[in-house]
Amino acid sequence: MQVKKTNFTVNATPRFSVLTEDEIEQIYFSALSVLYETGVRVYDQEGVDVAHAGGAIVEDTTEDSSLVKIPPWMVDKALSTLPRKVVVIGPDRKHRMELFKDQVYFGAGSDTPFTIDPKSGERRRATYEDVKNFARLAQALPNIDFHMSLGIVQDRAVGTYDRWQYLAMLEGTTKPINITAVDLDGLNDQLEMAYIRLGGKEEWRKGPIFSLYIEPVSPLSHSEEVIQKLLFSADNEIPFVYTPCPLAGATSPTTLAGTAVQALTESLFGIVLAQIRKPGAPMIIGGLMSNMDMQTTVYCYGSPEMALLSAAYTEITKWLGVPMYETAGCSDSKMFDAQAAMEATINIATAALVGGNMIHDVGYLEQGLTSSPELMVAANEIIDMVKRILRGIPTTDADLALPVMDSVGPGGHFLEHDHTYKRFKHEIWQPQLIDRQNFESWEMSGSKTFKDRVHERVLEILEAEHEPLMEDKMFAEIKRICELADERHKDEELDLDMFGPG
Amino acid sequence: MNETLEKLSTCILEGDSEAAPGLVQQALDDGVVPKTILDEGMVVGMNEVGDRFRRGDMFVPEVLMSADAMQSGLEILRPELVSSGVKLIGKVVLGTVQGDLHDIGKNLVGMMCEGAGFEVIDLGFNQKPEAFIDAVKEHQPDLVGMSALLTTTMRAMGHTIKSLEEAGLREQVKVMVGGAPVDQAFADRIGADGYGSNAVAGSDLAKRLVGAG
Ligand code: B12
Repeated sequence: MQVKKTNFTVNATPRFSVLTEDEIEQIYFSALSVLYETGVRVYDQEGVDVAHAGGAIVEDTTEDSSLVKIPPWMVDKALSTLPRKVVVIGPDRKHRMELFKDQVYFGAGSDTPFTIDPKSGERRRATYEDVKNFARLAQALPNIDFHMSLGIVQDRAVGTYDRWQYLAMLEGTTKPINITAVDLDGLNDQLEMAYIRLGGKEEWRKGPIFSLYIEPVSPLSHSEEVIQKLLFSADNEIPFVYTPCPLAGATSPTTLAGTAVQALTESLFGIVLAQIRKPGAPMIIGGLMSNMDMQTTVYCYGSPEMALLSAAYTEITKWLGVPMYETAGCSDSKMFDAQAAMEATINIATAALVGGNMIHDVGYLEQGLTSSPELMVAANEIIDMVKRILRGIPTTDADLALPVMDSVGPGGHFLEHDHTYKRFKHEIWQPQLIDRQNFESWEMSGSKTFKDRVHERVLEILEAEHEPLMEDKMFAEIKRICELADERHKDEELDLDMFGPG
Repeated sequence: MNETLEKLSTCILEGDSEAAPGLVQQALDDGVVPKTILDEGMVVGMNEVGDRFRRGDMFVPEVLMSADAMQSGLEILRPELVSSGVKLIGKVVLGTVQGDLHDIGKNLVGMMCEGAGFEVIDLGFNQKPEAFIDAVKEHQPDLVGMSALLTTTMRAMGHTIKSLEEAGLREQVKVMVGGAPVDQAFADRIGADGYGSNAVAGSDLAKRLVGAG
């Protein structure tokens, strides 16, 4: 073919950017200064020792902690072994996440004390059944790629809730899961559970079925619990999220750039420690960073600052070459209402457009204190809509459609044209829950609001027949681990029913 | 109203901690009774802060500046109040319970209580029941405040109250609890005297529990 043009660029997807490369570098090199000059406080002797052996400066050691300073070369070294791509594959070996630059996956958030009852709409403490139901929603919703426990199991032993949650999720979904762990023992138990689900450790090595959620403590602190989880994960080939939760104005500077620097410092320390312990340890950094609302003191999950800061941080992670744990699909509203949909739409669109990899917290209301089945189902549709935008506007000859226009000519119409028939389904997004009927048809179909339709869809999914995802024997074996944990930890429980009725 | 007291109340409202001690001293030098300095100077300023905050005209960092100014003035005034026999509003021992590292909510409650005139002894985070016991013995507070952000550490609140009972200290203090997953029902179950859902509710509760609200 004869070429008649040059310098032609194509946007296969739209582009969205908050920071330039120069700005990213400014933030990164600032974080290196904080890491080297201010240092981070580490509340775990083993962690301090590992860092020290790797070249860190250790000073100001107290009874429970040390100040650890990391020279820049240690970060360079760590980044040279940090995997740029992390893979998590569900137990069915079908649902998978390949986390690297600009790959977009959505999933739930975890550990909300409260939930909205799918039938009554009442806000109450979450139970095992709720966690299982959310996992079933995740399984049914095509735009949910991974899952987390949308509720703390509070009708089982309190101190071992993490194992019960994992069991409930395994009952409901075969998608990759991002677990939380109460402590190291809880992590160990859940790893055993995963081995059983998968058929052994070797299977795990071919593709882990969960990642672990770990959070350093802002500002600039790394607790014993956090460091122990990090070291255990590095040792056992568990991909883990190392995400601080700085709260701009309260646990980090009120300026978003300052918060990004601090969060990056906190994550970089995790990267350094893990890579010293085990070069190649798979990590995802992020991801939950927002501002304090200065009227109510809450941690905002629906603010524009959260979306903007997360997007900026995503660009930093792309530049660094580490997968990003983004935050979206969440809201500060108390119920699934217009505010919830509005906030979730803004943060989902921003996170997707910038290319966040593992975008979590879909389904969060009330700053992560309440989970909502309706928000989760609505978010599935919002994500679908945003994914249409991600497909952009190709401008090939077939797309430009000059011969089509020529054949129809002025006047006429395109409804019967082959071009329309062949391409409309791909080109034009078709909603499932959004209503576009005219008034009369809408009235005839019951005058249902968006909320009504979402509610019906939730119930439809939950009431559908479903086969168990595990055989009885496997289920019993996994459940046994939860029961043994309860037995081991029973002395820690209060001698009263903390959450039950009355 | 005395001009110095007026200045003092404005200075609290504006959160000027540098000027507050000097103004308190000036009022004392003018011969104003310590209790009057507190009630007609500082508290007037702080009440205005509270009103503006509730109306949405003032924000947390501004309120905390005022609370700071209140405390810096009280440092001068407190000994005078004590020697003139005025009962201070109270003392609070505050901490985030064992196993829990969330401390910003607890810090806010502490600062708001300081703004209300309380003396606050902040134990920090991840505090064992014994740490609360020791602090009660050492500081003889009117109130013990506990914060927990996790269902797992809410248990430590129960354990701490039990330890206070076992140490024979429960009767001498009021216990207030708070933190995102905590609610009134739980506070009742573990035998706490009160629950506060945010920092302002916390300082109001503290006032009520010492009979000053
Ligand atoms: C920031 C944050 C963190 C930070 C805390 C940093 C710090 N320096 O404090 C870090 C990253 C360390 C963290 C860690 C964890 N967190 Co966290 N965290 C949060 C988050 C997002 C915000 C908390 C916050 O700062 N809010 C702002 C402050 C100002 O509000 P507040 O604390 O509620 O306090 C106000 C009131 O509650 C009240 N109050 C508080 N205390 C008191 C006390 C008294 C006496 C009174 C009267 C009132 C009162 O007044 C305060 C001011 O208005 C919450 C979500 C949420 N919405 O609460 C999760 C949340 C509390 N965390 C949660 C979890 C699961 C964890 C981890 C277990 C995660 C993990 N698996 O590793 C770890 C546990 C670490 C530990 N051992 O403590 C869960 C709780 C789950 C549960 N079991 O109940 C939550 C709800 C999020 C979620 N859905 O997952 N977390």
